[in-house]
Amino acid sequence: MLNTSFTPHTAADGYQFSQGAGYVLPEYAAVVPDAVHTGATEHHRILIVGGGLTGLTLACSLAQLGVDCVLLDEDNTVGVKGASSRGICYTQKSLEIFNKLGIYERIAAKGVQWSVGRTFAGNDEVYSFDLKAQAHFSLSQQPAFINIQQFYNEGFLVERIQQLGHAQIRWNNRVTLFTNAQGTATFSIATPGGSYQATADYVVDATGSKSPFRQWLNVGVTAKKGDDRWCIADVRFNTHPPLERHTWIEAPFNDNRAVWQHLMADDVWRIDYQMAPDADAAYVSSLPQVRERLARQFGADTKVDIVWVGPYAYRSECVDAMRVQLGTGAGHSQVFFIGDSAKVVSPFGARGGNTGIADADNLAWKLAAVVQGHAAPQLLDSYHPERHEAATTNVRVTNRTARFLRPADGVEKLFRTATITLAKQHAFARALVDTGRMAVANPYSASPLTDKSVALCTSVQNVALMWADGGADGSAACLNALLRWAGSHPLLLVFGNLQGELGLTQANALRQLAQTSGVRVVQVLAGMNAISKVSTMRTIRTTNSAPHSPQQGSVQAKEAVIDPKGQLRQACGVPAVALLNGRNTPSRTTNQPAAECHWALLRPDSYLAAQGNQVGARLAHAIALLTTGAHP
Amino acid sequence: MSHASVSNQFTDADGFYEALLDAHSGLSAPESAALNARLILLLANQIGDIQVLRECITLAQTA
Repeated sequence: MLNTSFTPHTAADGYQFSQGAGYVLPEYAAVVPDAVHTGATEHHRILIVGGGLTGLTLACSLAQLGVDCVLLDEDNTVGVKGASSRGICYTQKSLEIFNKLGIYERIAAKGVQWSVGRTFAGNDEVYSFDLKAQAHFSLSQQPAFINIQQFYNEGFLVERIQQLGHAQIRWNNRVTLFTNAQGTATFSIATPGGSYQATADYVVDATGSKSPFRQWLNVGVTAKKGDDRWCIADVRFNTHPPLERHTWIEAPFNDNRAVWQHLMADDVWRIDYQMAPDADAAYVSSLPQVRERLARQFGADTKVDIVWVGPYAYRSECVDAMRVQLGTGAGHSQVFFIGDSAKVVSPFGARGGNTGIADADNLAWKLAAVVQGHAAPQLLDSYHPERHEAATTNVRVTNRTARFLRPADGVEKLFRTATITLAKQHAFARALVDTGRMAVANPYSASPLTDKSVALCTSVQNVALMWADGGADGSAACLNALLRWAGSHPLLLVFGNLQGELGLTQANALRQLAQTSGVRVVQVLAGMNAISKVSTMRTIRTTNSAPHSPQQGSVQAKEAVIDPKGQLRQACGVPAVALLNGRNTPSRTTNQPAAECHWALLRPDSYLAAQGNQVGARLAHAIALLTTGAHP
Repeated sequence: MSHASVSNQFTDADGFYEALLDAHSGLSAPESAALNARLILLLANQIGDIQVLRECITLAQTA
């Protein structure tokens, strides 16, 4: 269904100014719940409003974790009706999240990978980069970036949710009224068959940049006014430009204003043209004007199909609170802002959609842990400090880019000209050329969930591993497979073997912790020759997991992995000396008591919460932070 | 952490001042401004440290 219904239109000139006429998007059946007929008020633990990229990512994440939720979407399709969000560039962290959710393979098959970017000023190349050469992208199973039209990812998420169950998507369900009824979030919802009422404990606002919840809840918004406007043209050519990102700070074919050239799936290219400050957006976005610019850029002989054209005014704003509690007592509802509801940034560096996906990934496991009853509700207090730091960082970074790309007349223009002039000759000045700093998995500097053992709470990449039992079911191991298995529980990675008397003591302590805290323990071995040494851990595995594990049959395989190149250890910042066994430290393989037991504690969103080298009070404390959400 | 120095670090203060003026001589005001901008960026890179650079900006603002 999906693949055929996404066929791009070939009637190039049939575009509509502010509608996604370039693609035929899939349509889903409207949902009219029983409450419309019975008049009963529904109650939901988790209600997500908005079925865009972030709302669907959250619904899919919850479904993956086995948690029920209801998602309301006001129309009946993915993609965008109108000229707003049309993301194309997905970062490694987003791709890792999609891998965890089971849709990465489809994205990789449909999308386009790229790693080379070039920046031009006038007719000169100022500098270029190749992300493949950058070490911090190299540990993951996923590439640095994949470009793909946003609606594909949304469509893949919808189909995955349909497979998983748990999450109920209600198409054509529009929230018409929201009230705070003595601490209870209460909704009036319109459907094609009539209206109904619903209440919810946890409300997630995923309605996007025009969120009505900001006003309904009287949430402050910090905004920066800008006047930069661009014209987006999605086009196909009879020639094939190189699979690279090209950016012009000053494009000769756009009156020396900026131009972006990005590739997407289906051989569609996105060309963004920066408008003059006083330009008439409708005129600049008119087909003859777009064709003329394209001819100037690619040559008059290049045949161009225009898939979609629209103007785009950049905004920069962030809500002051990403979580609002509707009352002070226990049992009151809470509203979470995710994605563009929380912050709107200009698209430089792909910091919009990707941070929305990360918002969803951050919130999903916390909601799941609380709803499933193995974490205290206070865990949810960590959502705002973590994701608001990410949001404000992304706002700051994109504002800097916007200022470089549209400098004010006078001294700002003066310094940009100086920068470009120097950058053409000297490497140092290229660092100042800011055509967008690509999105990263934002670190958390003041997370309430992190103890002092890690200076900065950062995301651990989806490292490739091997199952210690050789992979009985034929599957390749990776960090995501361990995280999926752990669900909404913290994942404790224990590096090396626990040998001797002291090792046994530590192993016993681990077993006890696992039983009392619900933490999922995985042993990470250094090499193949360490497989025979897993006997101590086996005790932990069998006693820890059997009662809780959703996949009892494969538990044994999933609880010991081999990290042949030490990449997981490296990614977790654990020193090599931790490998008490295996080929790295052969002298300590036998009879030597293990004085240390190096461990790394990962959150379900793959962020490193804590690390240490003793199984003791500090580890118990670190686990407690992830289950109570506060320093005890 | 480094701090901006306000003690004399020049090996040849008079020589630098003369070279600076010579570089600007004969330039129009916009040409001088452009030269200064390039010079500031080049000099800033010699310092590199953001803390020192911020202190220099503050010192210049409050002088």
